[in-house]
Amino acid sequence: MAGLVTTFGAGAMTNSIQEIREADFLFVTGSNTTEAHPIIAMEMKRAVRRGARLVVADPRAIWLTTIADRHLALQPGTDVWLLNAMAHVIVTENLVDHDFVANHTEGFETVRDAVQEYTPEKAEAITGVRAEDIRKTAREYATTRKAGIYYTLGITEHTHGTDNVYCLANLVLMTGHLGHASTGMNPLRGQNNVQGANDAGATPVFYPGYQRVDDPEVHARYEASWGVPLDPKPGLNLNQIIKEVGKTIHGLFVMGEDIVISEPNVSKLEEGLNQIEFLVIQEIFLNETARFADVILPGACFAEKEGVFTNSERRVQRVRKAVDPPGQARADWEILTAIARAAGADWKTSTPEAIYDEYVADAPKLRGISHARIEKEGGLQWPCPDPGHPGTVYLHEGGILRGKGLFTPVEYRPSHESSTETHPLVLSTGRTLYHYNAATQTRRAPGPAAKQPEAFVEIHPADARSREITDGDRVAVTSKRGRIECRAMVSRQVRRGCIWMPFHFAEARANLLTVDVGDTVTGTAEYKVCAAEVTLVQALENPVAFPGSFASVQQDR
Amino acid sequence: MIESPSILLDGNPVPYRPGETLLEVATRAGQDIPTLCHDPRLEPMGSCRTCLVEIEGWPRLAPSCATLAEPDMQVTTANPRIQRHRRLLFSLYLADHPTEHEACEDGAPCELHHLAHRHNADPNWPHMEPLRADRPGDRNPYVEFRADRCILCARCTRYCDEVEGVNAITLTGRGSETTISTSDQISLMDSSCELCGGCIAVCPTGAMAEKMPLVAGAPPERELQKVRTTCNYCGVGCQLDLNVDPSADEGRGRIVKVTSPPPGTITGDGNLCVKGRFAYDFVHHPDRLTTPLVRQPDGSLAEATWEEAIARAAAGLMGVRERHGSDALGFVSSSRCTGEENYLIQKLARAVFGTNNVHSCAAT
Ligand code: SF4
Ligand code: SF4
Ligand code: FES
Repeated sequence: MAGLVTTFGAGAMTNSIQEIREADFLFVTGSNTTEAHPIIAMEMKRAVRRGARLVVADPRAIWLTTIADRHLALQPGTDVWLLNAMAHVIVTENLVDHDFVANHTEGFETVRDAVQEYTPEKAEAITGVRAEDIRKTAREYATTRKAGIYYTLGITEHTHGTDNVYCLANLVLMTGHLGHASTGMNPLRGQNNVQGANDAGATPVFYPGYQRVDDPEVHARYEASWGVPLDPKPGLNLNQIIKEVGKTIHGLFVMGEDIVISEPNVSKLEEGLNQIEFLVIQEIFLNETARFADVILPGACFAEKEGVFTNSERRVQRVRKAVDPPGQARADWEILTAIARAAGADWKTSTPEAIYDEYVADAPKLRGISHARIEKEGGLQWPCPDPGHPGTVYLHEGGILRGKGLFTPVEYRPSHESSTETHPLVLSTGRTLYHYNAATQTRRAPGPAAKQPEAFVEIHPADARSREITDGDRVAVTSKRGRIECRAMVSRQVRRGCIWMPFHFAEARANLLTVDVGDTVTGTAEYKVCAAEVTLVQALENPVAFPGSFASVQQDR
Repeated sequence: MIESPSILLDGNPVPYRPGETLLEVATRAGQDIPTLCHDPRLEPMGSCRTCLVEIEGWPRLAPSCATLAEPDMQVTTANPRIQRHRRLLFSLYLADHPTEHEACEDGAPCELHHLAHRHNADPNWPHMEPLRADRPGDRNPYVEFRADRCILCARCTRYCDEVEGVNAITLTGRGSETTISTSDQISLMDSSCELCGGCIAVCPTGAMAEKMPLVAGAPPERELQKVRTTCNYCGVGCQLDLNVDPSADEGRGRIVKVTSPPPGTITGDGNLCVKGRFAYDFVHHPDRLTTPLVRQPDGSLAEATWEEAIARAAAGLMGVRERHGSDALGFVSSSRCTGEENYLIQKLARAVFGTNNVHSCAAT
């Protein structure tokens, strides 16, 4: 979310989930919302029922496209073209909110000039989206007061993910769709507490509350609070850490993640893990990464401990203990405290509530929040600077947090990998409704396991035909980095020339195929574009209806 | 100044916002009107007739859930006529419903029994044999439909259509054989159902019920403890209630099911998806790690005490720091862990081991 911090001074949904139902125009891009964020999708359905217009920009047909006013099925990786062309229309048709631009932003001219070249006609040739549809969408977005943008990994999981975010931010700034209810720039967070992990400073650049580690004032404050000298230079991001494993990273501590499933270009990572001197993992199940670990510490799951999660709309909510952890397993905060003490630090054995108080005391944005307040008032949305502050429903009311919103011109750069003769298809990966990440939890549930028992790859009927593949056949998917086997699902949901697969399945790890080149700013890996090929392994013997992606069930309805 | 319009509710003037129903105005004014087919997330249907009120000048009682407030309407929410109507109506409903209160509530509490009792319904009316067809053998793992408890309020079918938007279940059949089913009686697994469980959550009588606790013979909901918490899957952060049997598993407690908080609850408005409502099996799964494990010289993993494991972990990390410096260490944290735990891991990396190489997985 680095792009957002640069532009607006905060990296989170600017607006709230509940405001979606009141919106009049929804621009949903790179987000299969019904599957990844079902309850946010419900709010969108509610808005559409009320008469809101919905435009979906996504290479795939998704559930939301069935109720959308328009589906912009762009070629994967061409988001910058589409979004810049929308900006082009807004600029050339003079739909810019000049007051807002003058009073609350800087750098408009740079973007105005940069998008000159991006005419809808040229964009049509590259994105495959009709120029007229780009025009209409831009006009509707610019001229509707309550118009909001919603996006997820489909926008950020590219080598140019930050560019995509800048493009969206430019649209928001030039139309002044900020600082009001039901508008704004809304990244939907994929995981329960990814916002909270960032809030708490689990990032190489920020201390808790988005305070830069290389800011001398912040640095001095934390050295005083913690009573130890601290490193003033930012650390490595996840993508860099993973790539350095076994090279410059010799010791790794992994808490609650199965990096061997979730990270791209797995074979290279496995090589690194074989080299590494010391690996500790803290987990609730023996996962794939555990094969390489020297020490495995049994942690507690969300139902077995106290604490807080922050959701996508910056709301800090309570997690409460309902049952005891199994066997000797312990809450992760207890384990971390024990390790710090064993390493010579004088951390007190504490409680989550006291830890939270310590955490927010030095984080001005969150200082007003406490377990006690949440207990009384329900979840609170930051910024919440003091105990009397009610929390912030939408950001930037009456002005932008960082002072002025910064326009950032963006030029199109092709994705890291483009299709080749041997790998002519473009592979994207993503989530499904029934599973979650490495599926260690959801595959242990009978419903998801039955609705989606195994890995599959979606392929367009024309591409399937030319490869003599039919629905349900066993196929091999290959990229320059690896090969996996799964079932084919022949479907018009994907464009011709594109294939799509979920990344949840351990026996067909999509991330053996994906590119490990990260976004230039955030390090987020390119999970959305990689060159691939599909070949038949074994035809399905008795063709029965193959239970696959939920969305295709929807379309057959 | 323009005065906001008001109605006369049981003799007292109560202001309202145009577009509000009488039920909404009365509820805001603290009146407790019984309802069965109403849910604030759904379009009013006005079919169960339990919420009837008297309006001055109207010949018949009117459903408050489906009647909009109008200026100076005179509304009575309770009088002998209304009370008699409610008593007869609830007596009639009970005659077509399992009579034993406790037996009826083998899962969720039954709103019908509760309201019938409160409005002095007569439990001794001759019992009717229900003709509604059950749906035996639907192989979906989560949703059980028990036709004998169904009162055809259609909250489930309307929820499935209006809120979830998938239309998997509908009212089918005619007259006294009307029941709830998928089209063509197919299993929910083969339908457009997304297994959200919303039909269970909105059902007032326990006709739509969680299958797994029933199959397992778990204690009824009234004997369980509800713990309000935040879903551990996606970034929406829906609020949910873990329903715990505290004495199970040698006193460690066991999650019997997940229920949704009432509509209006932030976050989620009382809605959940299949993961939030049903994918909690992992908590009590036998594969859970229960003891620390430490790698042996021969490459195998052996169980260890916490003291050994923690000492080994700390020593291993300190050893790397000594040999290669602080920046040879990396800390990967998780969005699965709490805010407090993420605070501690970055403090561990920075203050104890001296490196800013800390990042949570999938920073998106
Ligand atoms: S579980 Fe959800 S989708 Fe399935 S029938 Fe019930 S309400 Fe409809
Ligand atoms: S219930 Fe579903 S939508 Fe809500 S937070 Fe959990 S996973 Fe997300
Ligand atoms: S609640 Fe009003 S008619 Fe059912």
